[in-house]
Amino acid sequence: MPEDLEELSLLETLDHLLDRGVVIAGDAVISIGDVDLLYLGLNIVLANVDAIIRTGRK
Amino acid sequence: MKWVVIGAHLLRDDIESPAEPIAAGELFLSGLAIPDEQPAGDRELLLRVARLRAALLDRATFIAIRYGFVITSRDEVAAKCAPHFARWRELLEKHRGQVEMTMKVVATTHAETPQRQNFTSGAEYLRALHAATKAVTIDPSFREEAERLLADGRWLHRDNQSLELAALVARDDVEKVKHNGIALKERFPQVAFLLSGPWPLEVFGE
Repeated sequence: MPEDLEELSLLETLDHLLDRGVVIAGDAVISIGDVDLLYLGLNIVLANVDAIIRTGRK
Repeated sequence: MKWVVIGAHLLRDDIESPAEPIAAGELFLSGLAIPDEQPAGDRELLLRVARLRAALLDRATFIAIRYGFVITSRDEVAAKCAPHFARWRELLEKHRGQVEMTMKVVATTHAETPQRQNFTSGAEYLRALHAATKAVTIDPSFREEAERLLADGRWLHRDNQSLELAALVARDDVEKVKHNGIALKERFPQVAFLLSGPWPLEVFGE
């Protein structure tokens, strides 16, 4: 496969991985040292900003 | 140890190593075990999961779970996913012989991207972003042909530069659809589009 097509394929694959599929609610605790400072209820742990905005609109 | 959850599967045998099956009601989730200290945003991990996802799809159709769902105990699955089990089972049984394919089409006309600094209200900014996304249009004759190629598909407004069509395709028809996609490119050389797949149930898994 030519290099540019490989890159395109990789980008497309990552786009599908990060921005498609069922979103499961998650949670996270932000800690500094051994102290838990914040508990967050999350719908997405990792996504790009546009994806987060779209999810918020659904 | 924690697990990056990849998808929901009908059968335990649909999940192959290095993914591990995690019982989820009458279904199974595929999870990739990683050390507690490894962040989910690790580049190599992303690529590893992407490859594993493709290998799992080769084996059988599954419902894709968006990357980022990480569990630290197998017991978490029931607590977080139980409301989905019945629907997932129904979808997996119904679409076992199908996969998703998508066509991303560059817009013919589109609205400018709203600039955050021009808004004093966050809500107004989000509304403007939404309106810009909805304003995308593509060549109507191409749209018609795309709908013929990916029948019963769903058009998705994902950004303000393109439109995307997602459809379910029988596994046996994937190569035929790709071949017809090449023919479509020859007929509409002025339209930039990307036909891709097969993918697990992503749009149709929601």
